[in-house]
Amino acid sequence: MSIETIISQFVGGLSVSMLLFLVASGLTLIFGVAKVFNFAHGSFYLLGAYFSYQAIALFNNFWAGVIAATIGAGLIGMLLEICFIRKIRGRSEEGAFQILLTYAFILIIDDAVKFIWGPEYKTIQKPPSLAGTLEIGAVSLPKYNLFIIVLGIVIVIVAWYILSRTKTGKIIQAASTDSQMVGLLGVNVSMVMSLVFGVATAMGGLAGAMAAPLRTVTSGSGVEVIIESLIVVVIGGLGNFWGALLGAVLIGEVNAFGVLWLPQWASLLSFVVMIVVLIFKPKGLLSNEPTRKKI
Amino acid sequence: MNRKLVTILSALLLCLTYSVSFAAETIKIGALYPMSGRGGLYGQDSEAAIKIAVEEVNAKGLPGGKKLEVKVIDDQSKPAYAVTVAKRYITEDKVNFLMGVVSSAVALAVTEVSKEYKTIFVGTDHGATDLTANAFQKYYFRVNNNTYQSMMAGAMYLKEMGGSKKIAFIGPDYAYGRDQLAELKYGFKKLGVKADFVGEFWPKLYEPDYTSYITAIIAAKPDILVSGFWGGDTVAFIKQAKAYGLFKKMKYAHFDAGGNYELFSALGDDCPEGLILGSKHHNNWPDTKENKQFVAKFHKATGRYPSYAAQGAYVGILFIAEAVKKVGNAENTEALVKAMEGMKLKMPEDPAGFTSFIDPATHQMVQTESIGITEKNSKYPPAKYMLGKFKDYPADKIMPDQEYIDLLKKTKK
Repeated sequence: MSIETIISQFVGGLSVSMLLFLVASGLTLIFGVAKVFNFAHGSFYLLGAYFSYQAIALFNNFWAGVIAATIGAGLIGMLLEICFIRKIRGRSEEGAFQILLTYAFILIIDDAVKFIWGPEYKTIQKPPSLAGTLEIGAVSLPKYNLFIIVLGIVIVIVAWYILSRTKTGKIIQAASTDSQMVGLLGVNVSMVMSLVFGVATAMGGLAGAMAAPLRTVTSGSGVEVIIESLIVVVIGGLGNFWGALLGAVLIGEVNAFGVLWLPQWASLLSFVVMIVVLIFKPKGLLSNEPTRKKI
Repeated sequence: MNRKLVTILSALLLCLTYSVSFAAETIKIGALYPMSGRGGLYGQDSEAAIKIAVEEVNAKGLPGGKKLEVKVIDDQSKPAYAVTVAKRYITEDKVNFLMGVVSSAVALAVTEVSKEYKTIFVGTDHGATDLTANAFQKYYFRVNNNTYQSMMAGAMYLKEMGGSKKIAFIGPDYAYGRDQLAELKYGFKKLGVKADFVGEFWPKLYEPDYTSYITAIIAAKPDILVSGFWGGDTVAFIKQAKAYGLFKKMKYAHFDAGGNYELFSALGDDCPEGLILGSKHHNNWPDTKENKQFVAKFHKATGRYPSYAAQGAYVGILFIAEAVKKVGNAENTEALVKAMEGMKLKMPEDPAGFTSFIDPATHQMVQTESIGITEKNSKYPPAKYMLGKFKDYPADKIMPDQEYIDLLKKTKK
C-alpha cells in the first residue's frame, strides 16, 4: 500500500468527517442545551441544500447560496422552536411529544421541498475557484474537499472561542448543566434555547449547502444524514460538542480505511465502532458519567 | 403509555390511513409506487404517465363501454406496508389488477399477495430477475426489463469493446447491487470473456459520500469501473469521482440505471463525457415516432422530461388494456393470464421493426436493451449531456437462459 493512497484516503475521510461534524454538532448542541432530541435535524441540512439552490438560481453566486442556506435554515429552526417545541417544554410526557413533533417536521419539510421545488434531483455547481484539483506528488486532492476541511477547522475554533471565552458561551454551558438555576439568575432561558436552536440548525443548513455540490439534492436526503449523525453523537457522548468532533473524525476515518482494507465489511464498520463504544463507555467517549451535561 | 399519547398516536394513524374510492362499473387498477422520499420522483413520473395512458385507452374505448380507473397509493418503499395496501386494494376495492412498484423487495412481497388472491400484478419498474425466474408465479407479469437483461447487454458491450478487462465493481450493498455483479460475471462466462476483478465495493444504498470509495477504487487501478448504483446515488458518485479525476483514469460503465434521464438533468454541466450507460428507457433513443410522441406527451403534461419510470407505467396500462380487449372483460382472470402470455406490445423503447412481447414461460417482457455514451446535447433541458452512439442488443440474446433460471432456483430458494 503506497503512502500516497494512505494520504489520499485520510484526507478524503477527513472531508467526510467535517460535513458529518457540522450536522452532528448541531444535533448534540440542541440535545445538550435544550434537552430536545431533534429528529428533524437532517431536514435543516436538506433545507440548506435547497435554499442554496434557490439563492444560486437568483444571484448566480455560490456564496450567496451558502449564506442563504445558513441564515434560512437557522431562522426556520428558531421559528419552529418558538412556535412548537417551546409549547411542549416541561410537559410530563415531553419526550414522546418531542419525537412525534420532530418526526412530523421531517415529513412536512420533505413534502414541502418536493411541493416547492419539484421531485427531480437538483444540481449545484462548485464555485469556479474551488473546482480544480490540487496535485501534491502522486496525490490528487480536490480543492473543494480541502476547503470543507478548512471550513470545519475554522468552525471548531470559533465554537471553542464562543463556548469557553464569551459570556454567551458560558451561559449556554450553564444552561446545559442547570437551566432552572440559570433562569433564577435572571437569564432569559427561553431566548438562550431559541438562540441555540437557531445556531444549531444554521450549522445544519451550512452543511447542506456545502455538501450540495458533491451530493444529490433530493427530498429524503435529510433522513439519511441523520442516521450517521446519530451514530457520531452516540459515540462522542450525547450532548457533548467535542464528542461530536471526535465521533465524526473517528467514523469518517474508520469508513475511509475500512473501504480500503475491508471493502466487503466497510458499511458495517461504523456500527461496530458504535457497539464497541456503547459496551465500554455507554454514555459515549467524552461523556462524564453520569451527568451527561458537559458541553 | 399515558392516555394523551395514545390519543395522539391514534389520531396520527387515522390521518395516515388512506382513503380510496373507486367508481362503480369501471375496470379498476390498484397501483403502488413510492410517492415520498428518494423514490418519490419515480412514483410521481409513473403517476403522470398512467394518466396519459388512461386518457388514451379511455378515448379509444374498451369492451362494454367500460373505462379504466387507476388509483395510486404510496407504498412507502416498505414491503410490509405495500402488502397491506395490496390486500386492501383486492379485498375492499375489488380491483381487477395490481400494478407498479419500484423496489424489488416490495415487488417480491406484492407478488405473493397476487398469487394468494389470484389477482394479476403487472410490474412496471423493479429489476430483480427473481420475479420472473425463481419467484415466478403465474399471475405476475413484468413489462420493464430485469437486471439480467441489462447486465447481459453490458457484458456483450464490454466484449465488443475489446482490450484487457481489469474490472472494479461498485454497487449498493443489497440484492439489486449483488445481483448485477453476479449477472455480469455469468454473462462474461457465457460469452467467454476473461475478466480480472480487481476490487468489489459495497456502499450502502443512499450513501451520501463516496469519497473513500473513490480513492480506494483509484488505488485498485482498474481499466473499467462497472457500477450498479440506483437513482440519485449515481449523481453523488459521479460528482465526487469527477473531482478526483476518476473518469480520466478508467472507463465507467453502468448498464441498468446509469443512463436514466434524471441523472443527466441533475448533473447538468458536471456530467463527464464518454461514460458508457444503459437505461430502461431513453428520451432520445430509439428515434421512432412512438418514442418521440410518448416523450412529447409527457413533457406537455408535466413541463419536464420523463425519468425511465414513466415508460414502464405507461406501458403497464396499455398492456392491461390490450389484454382486456382481447378477452372482452376484466373479470375472467385465467383468460386474461392466457391472453397476456405471448402478447405483443409496441413500446416507446422498441427500435424500428421490433415489437416487444411477453415470454409465456417466465412472463418477462422480451425487449431490446440500448447502451450509449455520454456526449454534449442540450435538446432536453436542463440536461446538458445525453447519450449518443447507441448500440442496440437484440431481445432474444439477452433473456435469462434456463441454466441461469435453474441456478437461481438452486441458490436462492
